[in-house]
Amino acid sequence: MIPLSDFLIVSAGLFCTGLYIILSKHNAIQILIGIELMLNAAVLNLVAFGKFDRLNNGGQLFALFAIVLAAATTAVALAIILNVYKKYKTIDPGKIDELRD
Amino acid sequence: MTMAQALFYLMAFIALASALFVAASKSLVRSVFMFFVTLMALAGLYVLALADFIAITQIVIYIGGILVLILFAFMLSGRETLANLQQQDNRFISIGKLPALLLAVVFFMVMINILFKTDVNHLLWLSKAIAHKNVFSPSDATVSNIGINLMTRYLLPFEAMSILLMMALIGAAHLSRKEKKA
Amino acid sequence: MENFLQAIDTLTIRFALAAVLLPLFAFVINICLPGKSNKAAGWVSTLAVLVSCALSVFVFSRAWNQHQVHQGQLWFTIGNIKLSAGILLNNLSVLMLLLVSLIALPVHIYSTAYMNNDENYKRYFTYLSFFCFSMLALVVVDSLVLFYIFWELVGFSSYLLIGFWFTRPKAILANKKAFIMNRIGDVGLLTAIIIIYVVFRTFDIEQLFGANALVRSTAFQVPGGWQYVACGGIFLAVAAKSAQFPLHTWLPDAMEGPTSVSALIHAATMVAAGVFLLARVYPIFDSQELVVLAVIGCFTAFMAATIALTQNDLKRILAYSTISQLGFMIMAMGIGAYASSLFHLATHAFFKCLLFLVAGIVIHQVQHIKDEYQLDIDPQNILYMGGLRKKMPLTFIACLIGGLALVGLPLTSGYLSKDGILIQSFEWAEGKSWLFKLIPIGALITSWLTAFYVARLIVKVFFGEFRLMQFNPHIKLHISDGAWQYRLTLLFLAICCLFPLFSLHPVLYEHAWVFSGFSRITGLDRVNIYHTIIPAGVNIFSILVIYWAYAVYVRQKALPFPESGLLFKLSYQEWYVDKFYNRFIVMPVMTLSKTAQWIDRNIIDGFIHLLQRTGILLSKIAEWTDRYIVDGLLHLIADLVLGIGNFARNFQGGKVQYYLFSMLAIILAIFLFKILI
Repeated sequence: MIPLSDFLIVSAGLFCTGLYIILSKHNAIQILIGIELMLNAAVLNLVAFGKFDRLNNGGQLFALFAIVLAAATTAVALAIILNVYKKYKTIDPGKIDELRD
Repeated sequence: MTMAQALFYLMAFIALASALFVAASKSLVRSVFMFFVTLMALAGLYVLALADFIAITQIVIYIGGILVLILFAFMLSGRETLANLQQQDNRFISIGKLPALLLAVVFFMVMINILFKTDVNHLLWLSKAIAHKNVFSPSDATVSNIGINLMTRYLLPFEAMSILLMMALIGAAHLSRKEKKA
Repeated sequence: MENFLQAIDTLTIRFALAAVLLPLFAFVINICLPGKSNKAAGWVSTLAVLVSCALSVFVFSRAWNQHQVHQGQLWFTIGNIKLSAGILLNNLSVLMLLLVSLIALPVHIYSTAYMNNDENYKRYFTYLSFFCFSMLALVVVDSLVLFYIFWELVGFSSYLLIGFWFTRPKAILANKKAFIMNRIGDVGLLTAIIIIYVVFRTFDIEQLFGANALVRSTAFQVPGGWQYVACGGIFLAVAAKSAQFPLHTWLPDAMEGPTSVSALIHAATMVAAGVFLLARVYPIFDSQELVVLAVIGCFTAFMAATIALTQNDLKRILAYSTISQLGFMIMAMGIGAYASSLFHLATHAFFKCLLFLVAGIVIHQVQHIKDEYQLDIDPQNILYMGGLRKKMPLTFIACLIGGLALVGLPLTSGYLSKDGILIQSFEWAEGKSWLFKLIPIGALITSWLTAFYVARLIVKVFFGEFRLMQFNPHIKLHISDGAWQYRLTLLFLAICCLFPLFSLHPVLYEHAWVFSGFSRITGLDRVNIYHTIIPAGVNIFSILVIYWAYAVYVRQKALPFPESGLLFKLSYQEWYVDKFYNRFIVMPVMTLSKTAQWIDRNIIDGFIHLLQRTGILLSKIAEWTDRYIVDGLLHLIADLVLGIGNFARNFQGGKVQYYLFSMLAIILAIFLFKILI
């Protein structure tokens, strides 16, 4: 039997890695990957807790919803990134600051 | 140590290591492929958490859908985009990334701290679930139960999700079409 | 009859007024004429003087020996002082009017030729007209105030003409000197006028000094010493204008002006203004003061004659002879020979003017030679001249006549007037102590000295060889009497120097009409032997002296005085008067003014500069305070606000990751806060 805390530790580690990627990368696609990583960490949490809800399957179903949402998010995000690149010739979010004063 | 535990630690290690590699990799393409490994390892972890349907979904949607979409997106945009995308400083540790690393590490420590403070393995509702036998056992068949719940208890979120998906698809398609000269 | 007379008088007055004002019109027209050397200026001035002269002759014929004409009208009123301006025509003023215009006319004609090549031709005639106006007005006005005004104008125009060539430093010095000397006299005159007014409450010359002279009346008495102050002031004025000792030194220097100006102003008219003033105010002097006048006049005459003996500058010799002759006139006034003095004034005007014009022609010719051969000589130095008699016969004859008149030989006008003075001086000294005898004797010696220096002048200039040719043998002389303007004027003046113009009798001065016009003596009473002895003695001795001079300078006999002798030096250095003035008046004044300047510059200015520096320092401190403390405070606030703004702005850098980072950091901080507390 695998203790719940181990799942959560792994999940926390993935989450923090994703966080690091989001904060440090200068590439929108990599940031997108970081977001996916964080989402997966969350999904892992849901799944781990979902083990204790056999009747309603709440954790697993919301994990499912999360995965589907992530897919939709990714599709839209990629479309946005491509359009941004067309306009600014860069996908570094730090340099896309035309709305700045 | 049982076989399941050994597999869990292996999968956990693979997932974390590959995630770190994604964070550290200089090459975008490599990191994307290494992310693929991460997702596979996570799918394994889901199986070990007794959520085989989620694991399959993970593989189908993430690996079959999202990753392919990502690769497809920047393969489509040509060599120049690729060259541009890869032309960046990807050292794992540098002065510019130090605050991010620090933040991530501190965040991790805070999370672990909270985990241990709350003592997740002996939470009240977990103990109650165990007492009511509301816990998956490795021999359970879960898929039929998920199907019933999806169509009954979680019908509204399911419908909302489907509308959202459709909107996302239309939006993505609209965004990525070639603009006519306005 | 009365009306008729008045009508005639009115006409006379109008003519006299016209005669006075015409040169003023010429002056105004000349000012308006364009160009620096507009030849029209000469004609305008000459025409004005010509008409003026004709009118003067008419006025003279009307007023001479007639009742005097006096007309005037109210000029202005100050309080209850009424000042009138008018014209007084009596024998004295019409004589002067005629004399001035008659001398001015030939000088103008002469000047048209003499100044022909000067680039400031127009300015010359403008000044000359102005001078004529001032002088003519001076002689006819009836009020002491107007008299003073024109007296000043005469001095001023003389100043302008002496400094006519104002680019020469010597001319500037000379006209400054003349101006300052004249100012001393002017102060004297003003003092005298004020005293007279205070005592007699009128400026009217006729009332004051006329037939029933107020100054002689017993109703008014000049209190105490003021009588002497007034007479002293008048004497100062006379001494300054007529170049008497001790104010005579300006006249020789005034020779820096054009020669025609010297002829008109410094020989014939302006210097006569002093004598004229004496004649106008004659009744004011009492017998003691007249003695002083006589002494001063005699001394001046003697001193100037001795100086003239050794001078080498042609015009300076003539200038000193002018001073000497003026001395004679003053002396004549002093001894009571009023008529003779004025007679001498008239005759002297003609022959001295003639001599100056001759000098002008000679200098002009020598100047031509100098310019032509680039010689480094003084064109006025008589040592370079000689033998001009053959080249310029008319000039020579004119000069001879003028010179003889100056010496006072018979048949000339000078004889008539000068011998009159000499005779009357002996008469005056008769019966007085031996000290008084010195005056006629001094006059006698002076007239012999005059004979000597005139002979020296004529001999040096006209006899012998042309000495310039001895140094520079290549010079070719093509000099002559000059243009018709020269010949005409010389001829006219030379005739005026002969006796018939003044008296039909060649030797008896009492017959002269000018003399009888003023003399109160009627009939001829040759009271004593002087009337015979003195003319004969003087003239015989004069001829001997002339011959002696001729012998010395032509036959190269020994000089009467060694050139290194004390007497020669005294004479050559002009009795050291100028040096004395320089040493004891000019130098201390200069020192004083330099001291004053030093004080002004270093102490007064220094104090002001100190104030100024203090002010600047204070304002700099204020500026510093303003800039760094007051403004600094404002800037500090502004910078603070700006800093806060920029600090806040940094969070809005448009960097999504930065926003995220901040957000997470805050969340983390909250977590840590929760955990630790």
